[in-house]
Amino acid sequence: MSPNPGSGTEPDLSVNLGRLELRNPVMTAAGTFASGREYAGLVDIPRLGALVTKGVSLEPWPGNPSPRIAETASGMLNSIGLQNPGLDAFIEHDLTWLSEQDVPVIVNVHGHSAEEFARICERLEDVSCVSGFELNVSCPNVDEGGMAFGTSCEAVAAVTAAARRATRKLLMVKLSPNVTDIAKIARAAEAAGADAVSLVNTLLGMAIDADTFRPKLGRVLGGLSGPAIKPIALRMVWQVSAAVSVPVVGMGGIMTAEDAVEFMLAGASAVAVGTATFVDPAAATHIIDGLAEFCRRRGVERVSQLTGALEA
Amino acid sequence: MSDCGCAGDEARSVERVKVVANERLAAGIGLLTLHAPRIGARVAPGQFVHLRITRDADFILRRPFSVHGTTRDGIRILYQVLGRGTRALAAKRPGDEMDALGPLGKGFRIPEGVAHALLVGGGLGVAPLALLAEVLAERGVAVTAALGAPTADRLLALDVLEVSARQVLLATDDGSRGERGFVTMLVEGALAASAPDVAYVCGPAAMQRIVAAQCAAAGVPCQLSLERLMACGVGACLSCVVETASGLKRACCDGPVFDAEEVRWDVAQPGLRH
Repeated sequence: MSPNPGSGTEPDLSVNLGRLELRNPVMTAAGTFASGREYAGLVDIPRLGALVTKGVSLEPWPGNPSPRIAETASGMLNSIGLQNPGLDAFIEHDLTWLSEQDVPVIVNVHGHSAEEFARICERLEDVSCVSGFELNVSCPNVDEGGMAFGTSCEAVAAVTAAARRATRKLLMVKLSPNVTDIAKIARAAEAAGADAVSLVNTLLGMAIDADTFRPKLGRVLGGLSGPAIKPIALRMVWQVSAAVSVPVVGMGGIMTAEDAVEFMLAGASAVAVGTATFVDPAAATHIIDGLAEFCRRRGVERVSQLTGALEA
Repeated sequence: MSDCGCAGDEARSVERVKVVANERLAAGIGLLTLHAPRIGARVAPGQFVHLRITRDADFILRRPFSVHGTTRDGIRILYQVLGRGTRALAAKRPGDEMDALGPLGKGFRIPEGVAHALLVGGGLGVAPLALLAEVLAERGVAVTAALGAPTADRLLALDVLEVSARQVLLATDDGSRGERGFVTMLVEGALAASAPDVAYVCGPAAMQRIVAAQCAAAGVPCQLSLERLMACGVGACLSCVVETASGLKRACCDGPVFDAEEVRWDVAQPGLRH
């Protein structure tokens, strides 16, 4: 891509995720935006490229003991543990509200088994406001499911294949960084029918209080997010985008439009904003504005031209 | 759980606020006055603001602070230096700007027909009670305030309470002012002397638990302002959950004020760790 400064026209921010066209590449990261209602009035939700919901499981999940967060240098640990009221409550409360919002909705799905993932997709297959699914095979904060699936190629393939049979909507698989070779896992998801892969979920970490001799998190271990993990996330997006031909959604410490550009240069077709939303509720829309500004400044006509445009 | 207390709450916004004054009241304790006209005009007692203290990348999360008082065009925050966030807050000078998300949360409820309220504060717990005392006094409610602190210099907001409260009872751990001992002793006496219609409590978890039991025994409805670590402040991240009789609730938007009888003490309820 050769930049063409000063072309002056409005850049085209739309990107393609296989079965889904997005008006811009910026989505919310699962678990940081609930189902959006909590942020109504603070964020212009219809401006989002997509809204990715908090993880939904078939039955209610209670989550983990408190404390559930600990701030660390340039980041934070969380061990929320997928607390959610279950699929029925999600349909009744959240989907009703989401169906009135003019935004593509991607439901983050979590299950104990491949069959549970598939059943959730099945139940939501005919809901028109749901544009796609993100399979959470990477949560580090649960004993069953989560990362236990996402660290094995066979389990990722089984979950993805089961969900693929249940839906014609966009199927995205969210990958764990807590593996030796993330590209291998991404290829397993692609081979089993994923339309896209998203990465990274949080990195397993720990924080200790030297005054009390205790772990800072009730669950002891938690997932690290924020700017602290960005270099690792960028590396993994770069490795995965070289290994698969499906679109990659990049995330991990994106705070600014410049961070988003870096992820796209590494190979991401779209990005997700998570921890930054806790700092600035309107972070995602500020990043959309910043991306448009970046494109204008650098003469980039279509933001999708940034994807994989890293120069050696 | 899915019904969010603050979803679509139009009072809250992100406001650019400016430091008007930042006074040191005692070792490690400060009183911050902020120019914040929007939040100041909308805040109710017991609500809080989520402050973005710095834009440095080193620590990123906002910090929640109860609103201690209002001014003509802003708010006051009473704080204790406990970590990186409050250290940075103590270094703020007049003219410095921050952004504040708020007002957030469900504050103290003032039931119809309340004539006499007991306010119980332990240490920094007086922070949200001062604004409450002012509002109660404006409404003609008689206020009894019971405050406890380690030492006399840590008995805070006495100037506000002496104006708003009919009676101010004090206790210090070292006896340097008021009774020697804990605020819970004062509560025992205050409940016996004249049963208040309602009690409002803020302070360390152990003290809240005892006062909740004292109020229950005396048949006095009791509201607790709870403190939890939180990230988003608006009900999305589920960091700040409180165990209640009706399941997990969020301190940030279902609270921070809860009915004492709703809070479950039979399970671990870690408060803010320093």
